[in-house]
Amino acid sequence: MISAFFIFNQKGEVLISRLYRTDFKRSIADVFRIQVVSNPDVRSPLITLGSTSFFHVRVNNLYVVAVTKTNANAALVFEFCYRFINICKSYFGKMDEESIKNNFVVVYELVDEINDFGYPQNSEIDTLKTYITTESVVSATQAPEVSSRITAQATGATSWRRSGDDVKYKKNEAFVDVVEVVNWMGSAKGTTLRADVDGHIQMRAYLSGTPECKFGLNDKLVIDRGAVGTSGPSSGLADRGGGDAVELDDCQFHQCVRLNDFDADRSISFIPPDGEFELMRYRATSNIKLPLKVIPTVTEIGTTKVSYDITLKTTFSPKLSATNVVVRIPTPLNTTDVDVGILGTGKAKYVPAENVIVWKIARLQGGQECSLSAMAQLTSTTTRQVWARPPIDVDFQVLMFTASGLIVRFLKVFEKSNYHSIKWVRYLTKANGGYQVRF
Amino acid sequence: MATTMRGLTQFIADIRGARVRELEEKRINKEMANIRKKFKDGNLDGYQKKKYVAKIIFTYILGYKVDVGHMEAVNLISSPKYSEKQIGYLAVTLLMHENSDFLRLVVNSIRKDLHGNNEIDNCLALHAIANVGGSEMAEALAEDVHRLLISPTSESFVKKKAALTLLRLYRKHPDVIPAAEWALRIISLMDDEDLGVVICVTSLVMALAQDHLHAYAVSYTKAVDRLNRLVIEHEYSATYAYYRVPSPWLQVKLLRLLQYYPPSEDPAIRSVLHQVLQTTMDNSAEPSRNVQHNNAQHAVLFEAIGLAIHLDTNSPLVNTAAVLLARFISSKETNVRYLGLDTMAHLAARAESLEPLKKHQSTIILSLRDKDISVRRRALDLLYSMCDIDNSELIVGELLRYLRVADYALREEMVLKIAILTEKYATSYKWYVDTILRLISAAGDHVGEEVWYRVVQIVTNTEDLQEYAAKVVFEHLKAPTAHESLVKVGGYILGEYGHLIANEPGYSPLEQFHILHSKSQFCMAATRSLLLSTYIKWVNVFPEIKPQLVLIFERYRHVLDSELQQRASEFYALAQRPEEDELLQNVCEEMPPFPPRSSALLGRLNKDQGDTEDKRTWIHGGKDANVDRELTRRKTLIQANGSTASHIAIGAPSTQDVMGSLVGLDLRHTEVANSSERPNLAVGPNIDRWYEKLMFSSEGVLFEDVQIQIGIKSRYQGHIGQLAIYIGNKVPTPLTSFITAVHVDDPDALSVTFAKLPPNVIAPRTQTQQLLHIECKKAFSTPPILTVSFLAGSHQTTSIRLPIVLTKFLEHVKLGQADFFERWKLIGGAPRESQSIFPVTLNNAGQLDLSKFRQVVAGHKFNLLDDIDPNPNNLVGAGVLHTSVEGKVGCLLRLEPNKEAKLCRLTVRSTSENVAKEAQKLLQKSLTTDT
Repeated sequence: MISAFFIFNQKGEVLISRLYRTDFKRSIADVFRIQVVSNPDVRSPLITLGSTSFFHVRVNNLYVVAVTKTNANAALVFEFCYRFINICKSYFGKMDEESIKNNFVVVYELVDEINDFGYPQNSEIDTLKTYITTESVVSATQAPEVSSRITAQATGATSWRRSGDDVKYKKNEAFVDVVEVVNWMGSAKGTTLRADVDGHIQMRAYLSGTPECKFGLNDKLVIDRGAVGTSGPSSGLADRGGGDAVELDDCQFHQCVRLNDFDADRSISFIPPDGEFELMRYRATSNIKLPLKVIPTVTEIGTTKVSYDITLKTTFSPKLSATNVVVRIPTPLNTTDVDVGILGTGKAKYVPAENVIVWKIARLQGGQECSLSAMAQLTSTTTRQVWARPPIDVDFQVLMFTASGLIVRFLKVFEKSNYHSIKWVRYLTKANGGYQVRF
Repeated sequence: MATTMRGLTQFIADIRGARVRELEEKRINKEMANIRKKFKDGNLDGYQKKKYVAKIIFTYILGYKVDVGHMEAVNLISSPKYSEKQIGYLAVTLLMHENSDFLRLVVNSIRKDLHGNNEIDNCLALHAIANVGGSEMAEALAEDVHRLLISPTSESFVKKKAALTLLRLYRKHPDVIPAAEWALRIISLMDDEDLGVVICVTSLVMALAQDHLHAYAVSYTKAVDRLNRLVIEHEYSATYAYYRVPSPWLQVKLLRLLQYYPPSEDPAIRSVLHQVLQTTMDNSAEPSRNVQHNNAQHAVLFEAIGLAIHLDTNSPLVNTAAVLLARFISSKETNVRYLGLDTMAHLAARAESLEPLKKHQSTIILSLRDKDISVRRRALDLLYSMCDIDNSELIVGELLRYLRVADYALREEMVLKIAILTEKYATSYKWYVDTILRLISAAGDHVGEEVWYRVVQIVTNTEDLQEYAAKVVFEHLKAPTAHESLVKVGGYILGEYGHLIANEPGYSPLEQFHILHSKSQFCMAATRSLLLSTYIKWVNVFPEIKPQLVLIFERYRHVLDSELQQRASEFYALAQRPEEDELLQNVCEEMPPFPPRSSALLGRLNKDQGDTEDKRTWIHGGKDANVDRELTRRKTLIQANGSTASHIAIGAPSTQDVMGSLVGLDLRHTEVANSSERPNLAVGPNIDRWYEKLMFSSEGVLFEDVQIQIGIKSRYQGHIGQLAIYIGNKVPTPLTSFITAVHVDDPDALSVTFAKLPPNVIAPRTQTQQLLHIECKKAFSTPPILTVSFLAGSHQTTSIRLPIVLTKFLEHVKLGQADFFERWKLIGGAPRESQSIFPVTLNNAGQLDLSKFRQVVAGHKFNLLDDIDPNPNNLVGAGVLHTSVEGKVGCLLRLEPNKEAKLCRLTVRSTSENVAKEAQKLLQKSLTTDT
């Protein structure tokens, strides 16, 4: 289990240091600093030196590090680190060196609370916020009552939600955001070498009482079984979703979801925490719909020039549009200058600091097509090296589109008082450094 | 033009200011793109080029790959401005490796700078060569560097750099530098007034002399002279005194250089050296309180002691040194202890008698427990070197005791040394076996294979030892844990000789078997297979335990290891054969003794010592080891000479068969050896005339040209002679770096030495005298050669024969007519007679030039005997040749000229045929030439 927990800044100075067990000394921090922080070759988040393993996560130039001497579950340790980062973000708004330094007392309180003798404990933000507060004063008279309530909640069946009567909203609303990050690697001929979607469903629930929610997706397993189980025309829903059901590779749920039910009939039912939370995460690898097509033509003319012809096509419906499209086209390392011409929209320029041509398009309507042509001038080099031709990288966002084809079929809310609730669903697909094409 | 480059400063500041590595990379990418653009566009002025190249250099230093700017750097080198040139050179030395193609472009610029008049440019070029000089560059530029080194117009600092550059080139590409050819010129620089130059040149000479001992022999005198001037005459500028020690670095180098050469025979040099060493030792008799002063003194002192030991281990100096060393090894300073022990090991390795060292044996043994491991190592080396038959038991015992606590890094070496010493100085075989077995059980893992091989060899070859060895091994094996090496020794010895002890109580076959087999399960496969062989031997000699043994073979037939399995199967089959079968007996016959062979241990020990840049002049071990080594070194040296010679001669790699090339090698070797040893004689009609004249007169002019005149005066008494050489400077400038040396072909027959160190400067229009001591040891035929070299504008070398011939050592004998003929007959004809008939020229009057004949014969130191031959024209002479080794040799002569035939008959008879022939040749030569 986790024996020590550290936060380092960029230079390797220790900001937070907590030893959960006695099998390490504080000097173990130096080992990490020397072996990882000051060693530019280390890219792996997990380093094992002798019998000691360092797990680290970099966030905003901070290293969040967990150290263990045992054969701990690496996924669990990383989950713990990310959870800690989320808690910090929720407490301080952002997580960087300054906020850690300014709030180090709270950080220590949190670090002590979410882990005991190396074993992760309750890390539900809502619960934590009830007793680790940033405001200072809680009046003495209230204290016993409050604390008993906290105890009840923290140890109760739904530790993530305050008891029914405390939560009241005038307007009962639930927002569901389906966010997908699409990763794609295309060959020079345009065929797909690798494509997958990382998705998560973010939910904001402003629902009174203790609502019981049921959530339905066009998950292929559910749909297919539905089609088999309910025969005849009565199964309208199944018909509707059957055509484009989605195969989800693996799903992870928030702790509020009843996994027993999910295992039994893949139904997603839960009592949501109050406020924002991540309901589920999933991955899809088959039948990925690519929102953008990139057709590159790059030719090296002798040794002194390279000509580029890049065409960008959208494949989604004209009602939608891609925003914040950024295309990064690598240039050879010995480029001196680039002349760029654009057919369509956007702006492009050569950025020598990164050795790329950056082409930015603010908005690209569905079905639209635009292209760029450029000519890079090269200088002669001492040692003739073949250009490695790194792939072209495209970043974008498309609203109301899911690359996996996932659709939220329903979200039902049941509550004792039987109030009416409003549900909102939003979809977003984006590419973030993982949408690449070779040329 | 700005002196500072703002762009560069800004660039560096930006990079320093980058918080994250990625930002730094971005900044550099941006800058490099900018530079690429600028270079591509062209039209840059010098300043811009310099700035951008400087930025490229900085980027490169940070560890980024750089692939532009090389061309610009090359261009910068040819810029006339210093700052631009400097950056250009910096870029070349940093960005290019020695095989880079770009260096070809630079060679010409560098050459131009080397030739230039600006010293700073010279230095930049020298730096560049010293930093990147590849073989191509070395070939192209070594000549120029050399020229810069020897040029009289070069500044001191240029000379220094040139010397060091040459040294670097030589170390890297020794074949590029014609070391022998340049020898005299380079050595002459050791006389430079600037001590800095001398230090640099001495470093160069040291490196060259190591490989070209002979060519650089003159440096010996120079080094002695310089030491004399530094130490005795205190002739140095104040800047070179380091804590009141005159240039310790130079002293150390000179002393080290002297150690490369065999000790000089010249008494003058010896006495000067003695004085120098004595003074050095006196100077450091009392340690100073200043640490730096102490360091400097010790540096010189230790090198001086090294030299003293090298020169003569019996001299009183060495005794003084031994006393000093004894003080050092108990010093508080670790470094001093270290050096003390090291030098003592040198002494032990060379000295005839180890007595003075043995007095300090206990201190040395204590040093084994020093807190510093290097000191412990040196103590071990010293003990190893000083061990002899008397103290071997004590030292080996001490080493064994220490082995248990010794540092792991030290153990393997210790084990080897103990094993060698034990074998070398064993007083009794029992002691040897005891010690080695103790060694094996104590050191365990650190015992190399060679050690136990050797034990087995010795036990097998020594019959008396076998029973005892078997017993002792058995006892050692009784210990609960035995090391694998011990099991191996045990397996072998008990298998061979176990039957010798089997009848004694406690050593029964069964017990032997149990004790050995109980160890086998902890051993590796190789050891186990050895044990299997032991068992089959036992099957032969101990039939009573055969069932157990066969059971083991049976079991081992199924192990996975193929070697074990095969052995087991074969042995099993062998053991299963019927009783009366003799095969088993024949197979298991006792091992024959090993052919005597040298111990593999020594080879192992020597292999461990890698060669270093600055060669040691001795190795650890006793005197014998050093003598051996000296011999092999000579041999390899000669071989090396031979092989280079064959390379030169063949030119291209030969593809002849091996025998052919070997034959060729030998022949060439002799040629080259001769030509390289004998200086080339100066020629000229006058030189020969002067020489001929001096053959039969005691004084006169030997040589004269526009710059110098050399005259001689000589005196001979018996086998001893004195020759005064007068060298006159005829030009109005001083002749500097003056070197006179005498080359003798056969030093066993004739010794020629200078009475004192020759001076190295001759003032304008003055004369200097040098006295030579000559001793004739045996009959000789070639006259010695005097080589005179000096600097007068350029470097000049002249070699002249000295008129020292055999007949100079004759002394008159008075003989009557009867006596003469008696002896004449006694000696008899050939081969002890040498006769020749040759034409003579008549004088102007048409008469025989009798007076000349008389003069020549008398000049050759024969006593002219009148009234012996009735013909007055005939000359008769007699003399006795004095030699120190061969004693006296009588010599008789008859000269019979014939006026009508214009011929002359010369007959020389001597008790030694060589002498007769030689004297006849000399006389004939003198008689036939006009003087």
